[in-house]
Amino acid sequence: MAIRVNPGYIEVLDKFGAEDVQMCYQCGDCSTVCAHADDIFKFPRKSMRQLQMGLEEKLETSLEPWLCYYCGQCSEQCPREADPGETMMSLRRWLISRYDITGIANQFFNSRTREILTVLLIAVLTGIYLTFYGISGGSIHVYDGEGAFLPSSFIHTFDLTVGGIMFLFLWLGALRMWYFSMVKGMSIPVPWWLYFKKLYEIPFQFITQKRYAECENNGNSKLYMPWLVHFGLASGYSIMIILIMVFVEPLQAGPEIVWPLHIFGYLATIGLLIGCIYFVRQRIVKTKHVQYKKTHSTDWMFVILLIIITVSGIVQHILHRTGYLEAANITYVIHLMAVVPWLLRMPFSKWSHLIYRPMAMYFAEIQREAVVRQQKLVDPLSITIK
Amino acid sequence: MRTGVFFCQVDEQWNIDIDAIAKYTLNLPEVESVQNLGINPDIDLDKLSDSIKSRNLERIVVAGDLPGYFKPVFTKAMAKSGGNTKEVRLASFQEHGAKNGHTLDRAKAIVACATMGVPFSLAAVPGGNPVNHATLVIGAGIAGIQASLEIANAGKQVYLVEQSGTIGGHMAMFDKTFPTLDCAACILTPKMVDVGQHEMINLMTLSKVVSVSGKPGAYRVKIKKRARRVDEEACVACDECVSVCPIKVESEFDAGISFRRAIYIPFPQAVPNAYLIDEENCRYVTSEGEKCGNCVKKCPKDCINLDEEDQTIDLEVGNIILATGYELLDISHIDQYGYGRYPNVLTSLEFERLTNASGSTGGRIVTKTKKVNRKTKEESWIFSPEGIPPRSVAIIHCVGSRNKKYNSYCSRVCCMYSLKFAHLIKEKIPNVEVYEFYIDMRAFGKGYEEFADRIKSEGTFVIRGHSADVSMRDDQMFVRGEDILNDRLLEFEVDMVVLAVGLIPSPGTEALGRMLGINSDSDGWLSELDYNGNPTDTDKGGIYVAGMCQAPKDIPDTVAQASAVAAGVLGSLTSEKGIGNMSSLSLSEIEEKAKSVHTL
Ligand SMILES: Cc1cc2nc3c(=O)[nH]c(=O)nc-3n(C[C@H](O)[C@H](O)[C@H](O)COP(=O)(O)OP(=O)(O)OC[C@H]3O[C@@H](n4cnc5c(N)ncnc54)[C@H](O)[C@@H]3O)c2cc1C
Ligand code: SF4
Ligand code: SF4
Repeated sequence: MAIRVNPGYIEVLDKFGAEDVQMCYQCGDCSTVCAHADDIFKFPRKSMRQLQMGLEEKLETSLEPWLCYYCGQCSEQCPREADPGETMMSLRRWLISRYDITGIANQFFNSRTREILTVLLIAVLTGIYLTFYGISGGSIHVYDGEGAFLPSSFIHTFDLTVGGIMFLFLWLGALRMWYFSMVKGMSIPVPWWLYFKKLYEIPFQFITQKRYAECENNGNSKLYMPWLVHFGLASGYSIMIILIMVFVEPLQAGPEIVWPLHIFGYLATIGLLIGCIYFVRQRIVKTKHVQYKKTHSTDWMFVILLIIITVSGIVQHILHRTGYLEAANITYVIHLMAVVPWLLRMPFSKWSHLIYRPMAMYFAEIQREAVVRQQKLVDPLSITIK
Repeated sequence: MRTGVFFCQVDEQWNIDIDAIAKYTLNLPEVESVQNLGINPDIDLDKLSDSIKSRNLERIVVAGDLPGYFKPVFTKAMAKSGGNTKEVRLASFQEHGAKNGHTLDRAKAIVACATMGVPFSLAAVPGGNPVNHATLVIGAGIAGIQASLEIANAGKQVYLVEQSGTIGGHMAMFDKTFPTLDCAACILTPKMVDVGQHEMINLMTLSKVVSVSGKPGAYRVKIKKRARRVDEEACVACDECVSVCPIKVESEFDAGISFRRAIYIPFPQAVPNAYLIDEENCRYVTSEGEKCGNCVKKCPKDCINLDEEDQTIDLEVGNIILATGYELLDISHIDQYGYGRYPNVLTSLEFERLTNASGSTGGRIVTKTKKVNRKTKEESWIFSPEGIPPRSVAIIHCVGSRNKKYNSYCSRVCCMYSLKFAHLIKEKIPNVEVYEFYIDMRAFGKGYEEFADRIKSEGTFVIRGHSADVSMRDDQMFVRGEDILNDRLLEFEVDMVVLAVGLIPSPGTEALGRMLGINSDSDGWLSELDYNGNPTDTDKGGIYVAGMCQAPKDIPDTVAQASAVAAGVLGSLTSEKGIGNMSSLSLSEIEEKAKSVHTL
């Protein structure tokens, strides 16, 4: 089938943040400095080209954007200041909106006001619902157990419902990613057992985000700061989710502190807190790492919500343990008012990459092996490939 | 003719008072309407053609810094409204030099000429001053040599000023020239000898212009001539002195890949063919006569005078030709290619000297050999004739050129000389692999595309795709590159990397221009009067540009421009009109002239 060229498509991507793509003159410098590009997944130059030509289908079925961690080497090197790193970031945003069948992600990425309004609406609805529930069945003076304002069993069900919705959308998205990349975009057969062979990639990539560390660090500092922050956030995040979804009932009991359980909560809080501070600082200073030079408006939303959640969580915890139960209950409602939109927003925002990225790497590894198996790479020049 | 004038600008930085020009334009005869469309306007074709129609315009003048950008839409609109598309005229401020100081009046004059349909260059002809018949040429590369010879051969006096110890410029450093692969020396050396012997050429090496005053046709020039400290006439270039000189420094002529003494001759065919003392390094000079002086005792001709003093020379000339050439961009801070870190990463000029039969390896292309200083145990890498030839060489184009961080422009000659390098390597080393990494192949001249094809057919891997990564692992260099046409990412083992480094104007070009009242463009190249119509004259009457100093160009173009400049100079000497400054032409003078041309 002939490929349809659509030079106008770039306008669409412009809204996702890829502003300088037309500057690119296809030199390939970016691909040569990228620590993640290799002979099978060649980017960012190729993605730049596909964008310039508006090859929507090629882009939709590509996994390359997920292999990029935005270390910014390419943008630093680019002789045309075409900002390939930012383009890859924009492609991720765009892909998220593509994976999402509801169209919500697209709305969010393209209109900040709509996103803010939606988040506010959900927050208010949550607040009203929880307050009514609390008043109707319990007392503001009781935090846990009999007659509690927000009984832990109720919260457990509530959390599971909200979390369930979130996961449903995320996995629907992941399914679409699978369909695009492994079915629609694959021209060669993929043996079914490869899916099992490479299964370990998912948890492995999710927890370590190992490839992030492979990004070269521009020399100066030995600490892979962005990676550390990423790691802190990702693990804080996962631990919190597990705690909330499974252990919320013993957690909410008190006022004694159940150390074997709470210690995890504290650690996760620290991880999230450090993440918050670092993100805010980087977004204000904006110079050190290229990836923070341009902040798409949707990123702020994430940070603000995360800060509210973390701070209100800590405050509520302290209030509860020190016996200010009324205040604790009110803070709890505020906390949940942030948690719910934040969780529900996940599948439609940049942060769905926490799931999409490991999935994409999993698929990419399968693709790689499938391609190698097909012996597609006959190498007449006998050259060493990275 | 009912004329409509539209102002549209491209460059926001361009500091020009459009409103004032527009006001002036409104009062011009035949002008019906004037519109200022602003910076980078989005012009609606339909609206435009409607407005042309409703105003019944017969001629349109598009005025601005680069009005050519907008010409297509105006032409379309004119056609749509049924007008004559030939009557879409451009009034280009950039092209006709409406900048720096005399911006406003010049811009007005440019617009006025366009509304009358008179080419600006026909209306703006400065003149009036009688012309002194002597000519000063600054810079003795191929451009300066060519211009000097043309003028001198016509029987006119030339003063040729060259800052280094020999004439010849960069071309003297080359082995072969593209695309013919002629021997550079065979073309250049006879011309150099000619210059040295010509009775109408007064050659001053080691000299610089320090001040210029006067007016077109009669410039007073002060030249500082550094002491050579060796008698040009008496020195027989026997090379005796060199053996006793204790000083060793990198040779400029060899692009730093070999060493010379403090008393030296740049290369054996240098003109003047005499040795000279490098006063910055000579032990006698730096110790103010306390130490050394070995060479004086050794010289059989007694021609070394270490105490010779600098001279200043005053000249009166009618015309001045600038031919100061170029130099390579300093790439020490472009670190992705490992230049300065890995011994076998070379700049293009270094490679030119390596492959030149008169170079330190006798023209053998070899990798550097490690040398350990016996006393200090310091390691250094040098080229020696016994070196090992590389098994594979990568040539990387566009290093610092077409790059927004360094030179945004194309240096024009690098693609071609890189291909030339590939040929020379293939010719000299059997079974060598040569990889050319290019972004776009600029084979722009007669026979150049064919040359490129020939190089490809010789087995060089010409790879569409740049490289920004040269690394070293276990004493082996690697180049990573993207082969875009074959859709693969590659990593090659290479023994040598040659960087096609971008070109910039010679140091001091801008200062020299300022001294003479000539502008430089944003990249530092000297500004010509009119890029299309008059690429040899400048804003100042009697001052011309030739060769690289005006813009990157290859030898054929340099020679052609130099000859054109000579024609201009000779023309000014024979015409009765005399010469004058473009910038001193007043608005009313240009208007008058345009009117008289217009009514013809
Ligand atoms: C690596 C390389 C390979 C090339 N190979 C080819 C080729 O094969 N074929 C080809 O056509 N072109 C080639 N070129 C281009 C070629 O070098 C130029 O076109 C040509 O040399 C320009 O000559 P020029 O006289 O303008 O400048 P130059 O050769 O630079 O001469 C300028 C002269 O002016 C002197 N000077 C500078 N400033 C002053 C001052 N203030 N006062 C007095 N004197 C001054 C300098 O010392 C120098 O002698 C090559 C260029 C490079 C970099
Ligand atoms: S994005 Fe920049 S570095 Fe990458 S191919 Fe385009 S111009 Fe070259
Ligand atoms: S006097 Fe100067 S040039 Fe002569 S030998 Fe000594 S250092 Fe060398």
